[in-house]
Amino acid sequence: MSRISLAFRSFFAILFHGALPDALLTSLGLAHRAGSKPVPAPAAHSPSDGALQMLAILQRDARLIDFLMEDISSYSDDQVGAAVRSLHDQCRDSLQRYVQLAPVIDGVEGTHTKLASADPASVKLLGNVPPQPPPGGTLRHRGWRCAKIDLPAPGARHNFSIVAPAEVEIE
Amino acid sequence: MKYVIGIDLGTTNCALAYAALDSEPVGLFPVPQLVNPGEVREEALLPSSLFLPGALDFPAGSLALPWNAEPAEVVGRLAQKRGVENPGRLVSSAKSWLSHSGVDRTAAILPWSGAPGLQKVSPVEASRRYLEHLRTAWDFHRPDAPFTEQEVLVTVPASFDAVARELTLSAAEQTGCRNVTLLEEPQAAFYAWIERHPGWRERVAAGDLILVVDIGGGTTDLTLIAVTEREGELALERVAVGEHILLGGDNMDLALARAIERELAEKGARLDGLQIHALWHNCRVAKEKLLDPASKAAQEPVTILGKGAGLVGGTIRAALKRSILNAVLLDGFFPEVTSQDFPERRRRVGLQEIGLPYAADPAITKHLAQFLRRQDGSMAAPTHVLFNGGVLHARLLRERLLKVLNGWLATEGKTAVQALEGEDLMHAVARGAAYYGLARRGKGVRIRGGIARAYYVGIESAMPAVPGLPNPLKALTVAGFGMEEGTGASVPDREFALVVGEPAEFRFFSSTSRREDAVGTLIEELGPEIQEITPMEVHLPASEGAGQLVPVTFETVVTETGPLQPWCVARDGRRWKLEFNVRERIPA
Repeated sequence: MSRISLAFRSFFAILFHGALPDALLTSLGLAHRAGSKPVPAPAAHSPSDGALQMLAILQRDARLIDFLMEDISSYSDDQVGAAVRSLHDQCRDSLQRYVQLAPVIDGVEGTHTKLASADPASVKLLGNVPPQPPPGGTLRHRGWRCAKIDLPAPGARHNFSIVAPAEVEIE
Repeated sequence: MKYVIGIDLGTTNCALAYAALDSEPVGLFPVPQLVNPGEVREEALLPSSLFLPGALDFPAGSLALPWNAEPAEVVGRLAQKRGVENPGRLVSSAKSWLSHSGVDRTAAILPWSGAPGLQKVSPVEASRRYLEHLRTAWDFHRPDAPFTEQEVLVTVPASFDAVARELTLSAAEQTGCRNVTLLEEPQAAFYAWIERHPGWRERVAAGDLILVVDIGGGTTDLTLIAVTEREGELALERVAVGEHILLGGDNMDLALARAIERELAEKGARLDGLQIHALWHNCRVAKEKLLDPASKAAQEPVTILGKGAGLVGGTIRAALKRSILNAVLLDGFFPEVTSQDFPERRRRVGLQEIGLPYAADPAITKHLAQFLRRQDGSMAAPTHVLFNGGVLHARLLRERLLKVLNGWLATEGKTAVQALEGEDLMHAVARGAAYYGLARRGKGVRIRGGIARAYYVGIESAMPAVPGLPNPLKALTVAGFGMEEGTGASVPDREFALVVGEPAEFRFFSSTSRREDAVGTLIEELGPEIQEITPMEVHLPASEGAGQLVPVTFETVVTETGPLQPWCVARDGRRWKLEFNVRERIPA
């Protein structure tokens, strides 16, 4: 582990959890003091935390939740279009800042492509699908995969269930 | 000491560049800062915004920085964002306040319209905190080369007077730096150009005159640099600087937003404060799209989303038309004027609202015309022009400036200017400052310049007093324009009597346009080109013999690091330094 990375991880581990995890202790050549109290478990993170955090980011930066939750059936296409144009720019900026997306198969749609993988989760075959994986086919959708995700680490007391705070203006 | 560090302490953004002393190229230091609660990110610029949070502004623990778990304040992007929602706790444009002689700049006065009960800060203190953020961020990333032990160059507008420079220096020294030097921003921009063009000597020749036009977010700064020859080598000399003009890109974006707001008001749409801010921001985005040389669009949509959950329903639509953009930017800020058209001075009204003294005339071309007009009435004829500052990213505006300038030169029978292409207009000043740090160590060319103003001490005429009328005031030149760093000048034939044990105050004046006044010259009538700045005081300790009159003469010293120091010298050689009295308020 590089010195900077070690220093960083140690610092944040102590800051947010009040103790160093075992892996860092080993790297630093330290050991738990015999008889010391067991390290309290860090605040439990639920599997939905990351999803809620992403929703909160898209709402904060681009107001995506406001848009999706609004009944837009009564508005003209012009009105919807104007709002979407602004929202689309901000959503994309925000998405690109935190999630690096790349195509699963980097090719031109409509041209012949080799299959990158036989895993149906990565490459979905359409049409007359034979029992044995074929060597290739026509690319219809390049797919998306997450190359990197870089969400900020919220504090231990962060309440993920609040996607957007209420706003109250003090006059 | 391992590095030279160049800091652009801007009105709206700060930047830090550095270079290793063993002549590594100049690099930019991305500044880690809070960009959202709980999110630290590195950005190339640190917005010059300081937010003084209350207990209810941010969730607990969400302000932690890698080097400080619980900071008492927020500096940078998050401060700027939160300041829009809660402006009463935001300190911004501290630098403009630093150069404002109408207020006490060491008193805790910011935010100017602050929330009641808020612990305010002084303009000096706000500047210190931006520098402090940069210091701690640097130390976190380079613990082996502490910031305070490096050579630090802080840039100031060329138009800053001696007091504003001294206050900037003291803010930097309060961060613990031992080795701080001030550098003028347009010079730094020119150093950045030299750094990027190692073959610059091929581009200019002795006798050339380079005009640096620096239009930032909040200020416009003008400088002339002459190319001379000295011992067979090309040398550079800064020969003129402009007045302090509080006029920049923010004013332009605001003017565009106001134009659209008026249009919306005619259609009956009312905007609240936050929406106006959104409009301001979206106008800037639309402006940049229209100013893109590739854009042919006649207009760009400007959308303000509805408040609360009624996002689509409440959306207000407008458009920034190219015709409005041209009318507001080109005709408003860069009108085609003659070289005789000077900016209009604000009419003095009895009671002026206190606040920043924004330029009364937004026409930058008029300010340029005035700047180029010499004391003898002739026009300085630049041969080259270097653009700097975010506003001049826009080719349209650069072209307009060139067109106006070349028109004036043609009238004078001179050849047209050549534009020196600057790069990285947002970071050039910081980069140039770091390069200058190397240049001072003999690794590059230096611009000679000396002080950017002439300074005067006020002397009341010895005339019989007329009731109700103050005695006419004369001004004694105590430092001439261009006095060099590390030199001094004295006025031996004018003595003043100081009373030992009592404070004595001198009225102090300066001028950016009177470049010919030699030390000792007495100016009989003070025209508008001589402006009063902060008074100075000196206190001879009573131990020297209370009540005695001591005749003294004036001596002015410009130190190696830039600040101007006025001294009183007695006949026997005893010396007392005069201190700027920034606590005093000068009536406008």
